[in-house]
Amino acid sequence: MRDTRRGAFAEAFAIGKAVGQAMRITLVNMFRKPVTVHYPDTVRPFPNRFRGLLALTYDKETGEENCIGCRLCEFICPPAVIKVEMLKAEKRNYAKTFTLELYACEFCELCVQVCPTDAIIMMKSFDLATADRREMLLDKDRLHAIGLAHDPSWATGNRLRDMQAPPKKTAAEGEKPAVAGPA
Amino acid sequence: MTLPPIVMATIMSAGVLGALVGILAYVTLLERKFAARLQSRIGPYRVGPHGLLQPIADGVKLMLKENLIPASADRPIFNLAPVVFLVPCLLIFATIPFAPGIGVADLNTGVLFFLAVSSLEIVGLFMAGWGSNNKYALLSAMRAVNQIISYDLPFIMAALVPVMLAGSLRMSDIAAAQSGLWFIAYPVLGQLSFFAFIIAGVAAENRVPFDILEAESELVAGFRVEYSGMKFALIQLAEYAHVLGTSFLGALLFLGAWSGPGPIWLGPVWFLLKALAVFIVLTWIRWSFVRIRVDQILRVSWKLMLPATLLLLLATAAVIVWRTPGA
Amino acid sequence: MPDLRAIDYTGSERLTMNMGPQHPSAHGVFRAILTLEGETVVGVDAVIGYLHRCHEKLAETLAYVQYPTIASKTDYVAAMSSELAYVMAAERIAQIEVPRRAQYLRVLVGELQRIASHCLWLGTWCMDMGGALGGGATIFLYCIRERELVLDLFEALVGARLLYGFHQVGGVRYDVPAGWSEECRDTVTRIEARLIEYEAMLDDNPFFTMRTRGVGVIPTALALEVGVSGPLLRGSGVNFDLRRAQPYSSYEEFEFRVPVETAGDCHARYLVRMVEFRESIRIVRQVLDGLPEGPISSRPGVKSLAQVKVPKGEAYARVEGPRGEVGCYLVADGSNKPYRMKWRGASFSNLAILPHILPGCSVADVVAIMGSVDPVFGEVDR
Repeated sequence: MRDTRRGAFAEAFAIGKAVGQAMRITLVNMFRKPVTVHYPDTVRPFPNRFRGLLALTYDKETGEENCIGCRLCEFICPPAVIKVEMLKAEKRNYAKTFTLELYACEFCELCVQVCPTDAIIMMKSFDLATADRREMLLDKDRLHAIGLAHDPSWATGNRLRDMQAPPKKTAAEGEKPAVAGPA
Repeated sequence: MTLPPIVMATIMSAGVLGALVGILAYVTLLERKFAARLQSRIGPYRVGPHGLLQPIADGVKLMLKENLIPASADRPIFNLAPVVFLVPCLLIFATIPFAPGIGVADLNTGVLFFLAVSSLEIVGLFMAGWGSNNKYALLSAMRAVNQIISYDLPFIMAALVPVMLAGSLRMSDIAAAQSGLWFIAYPVLGQLSFFAFIIAGVAAENRVPFDILEAESELVAGFRVEYSGMKFALIQLAEYAHVLGTSFLGALLFLGAWSGPGPIWLGPVWFLLKALAVFIVLTWIRWSFVRIRVDQILRVSWKLMLPATLLLLLATAAVIVWRTPGA
Repeated sequence: MPDLRAIDYTGSERLTMNMGPQHPSAHGVFRAILTLEGETVVGVDAVIGYLHRCHEKLAETLAYVQYPTIASKTDYVAAMSSELAYVMAAERIAQIEVPRRAQYLRVLVGELQRIASHCLWLGTWCMDMGGALGGGATIFLYCIRERELVLDLFEALVGARLLYGFHQVGGVRYDVPAGWSEECRDTVTRIEARLIEYEAMLDDNPFFTMRTRGVGVIPTALALEVGVSGPLLRGSGVNFDLRRAQPYSSYEEFEFRVPVETAGDCHARYLVRMVEFRESIRIVRQVLDGLPEGPISSRPGVKSLAQVKVPKGEAYARVEGPRGEVGCYLVADGSNKPYRMKWRGASFSNLAILPHILPGCSVADVVAIMGSVDPVFGEVDR
């Protein structure tokens, strides 16, 4: 009888100690700053390489469209969401139509990687939630509009290909530190 | 002009019930914010400033929800169960005096009434599990009957220690007996019985770590699984009322009820604050532990809690006899 | 329909309960038809296939340059190991050598991924055992908070948080940006400090040990017979880790301990994974200290669909993922697409242990065991 009593109290004491330990940890966490980010009032700063919305770009100097309608992005896309029709012209080719089904896109950045003219890039934004899926079927005008509306990510076709193959220079030059400052 | 006692009693009951439902709604918000802070997050924030309108939004939502009754459910039992569950949980507040002289009914056997009526909720719980005609609900209800009966015994024993120390079952007598020293500060016996009260209380209310009956990850809401809309709201209200009632009882038995610095009319405020402190301790326990299996719960109850609280009661009796001169 | 003849119906008062595909603790879409006697499980029929997405057929239609992004979707919680298995198989057939810097980067992301995956395992397991409204949710949120730190690292490295497309045949696609190594060191130091908190909350916790000791014991012989791998195998006393037994991608250059426990119960698997946390952090630090200069791929970056053609041959590449052995068996026919790919998902083989260990335990134990087996149904159903 005595032994059982002592055993029971010893067990109770061990339980109490472990219980107090666990409760101490939760109490410690109570006084830490919450990790909640009040989206959409504040937005997390996006890292430089963020793979967000897709966009088509214009040439910085001439203002012409960069896309030459070569369809490499269409062929490489794993879920086949890009459809391009080429428009031949005298000096260079263009894309007559360029549709991208963003609702099926897997954001793998392969289209950006293969683009020879850095025409298609990804933006530092993902904000395109909509109630109508048809709004996520992006045509050429919308893609250009997205390109003007947000900040572009670091990755373009040439930069990615330069990073992946030798020359022996280390990581891409001219690149800013990994995470941008507060947006 | 003194009103007839029945009118006074009615006004008092209506007042207590109204205040109670209001407090209960905001106690749910308190739990959610407290739990959130323990988890490094914020909790309700957008509905009203800092989430203060969240309980109201929840209440409106639940009232507007569709009232689904499974086709094969036992209708009378299914519909009555939330009421049978709710009524005892609200009735326990009838015996609690919120200040000397203010309370619905300060019975001579107040503590006994409280403990007995709070155990009646098990009937409503089993009705809910049975009436749902659902294997998960039935399993949960069977576990519940097992558990609540097992833990009501240590709960009662632990609650009896302050009763013995005060020498009366009347709640206002117990509160008055703590004017010198709160029972929780009573050497050894006070603390031990408070711990036993808390542990048995957590288990008797089916809160984690003893909430095997509603184990969301196994039984998905247990006996409540088929309820929606206002009936679900009643069940939730009843559960929180029971927890709050236990907190009030704990504050009264161990923390000196309405005694506190300041004028006498501040008493109920202190009482509420102490009850909320007990509630926060129960919540803190809830959000810190994983749950244990039902056979382990029962083992803890019968092999650990019951002998321990019985011994505690015997020890209290011995100490009282030893302390009382000429006994 | 499951084979009901396999269940012995000679008992009385038996209840058939469906832990259906939609269930908070099914860890994905998993259906277990449990036959219960009171609270004890006497038979279990596991039904899988709810997440079947035809990966193996898809691999036949996608080129070697396209598929790695899809491979990450098999074991989506540990995407880096899944991609690695595929590209390693292709590299093995074509005998492509991977530059050392790329190998080190593969180890780095593999171990960071192991940390993130184990964070998710611990969180979801405790949530299953402790309820979505209770202490389990607390540990879940702490673990997710730490996992987010690792995912932030991946986001800075790759641009994506869950499904990366980091590997390519011949090396990797992304190099370490400026300032990333310091961030990585900071992150693993923080996670190491938080690990101490988790262990304080769980190790001696009687509630936790009551639920996990002696529960779901897998005897060593059974583990070897059924073919489980990973922490299940090491928790049952078998000292087998692919990173040690068949080192790939420069793992032989790193010092780390392979944890082995002999009890075989849920608690043993918990201890194994907690040690793996720390060992992964150790490996990450070693990689960061010794990261060599050089190219990150021995093949030029993807420029066109027909770029990578693997000559005729077949190979099986195995990777030690957080859940066990992830394997990819590739049959190549000289074109830019494989002829056949067979995927060995670790969780698929691990789940086979369930009909052997579930009978005899109670319903609450089913949840604890499922959590300690840690299946991800992307690689079960592929």
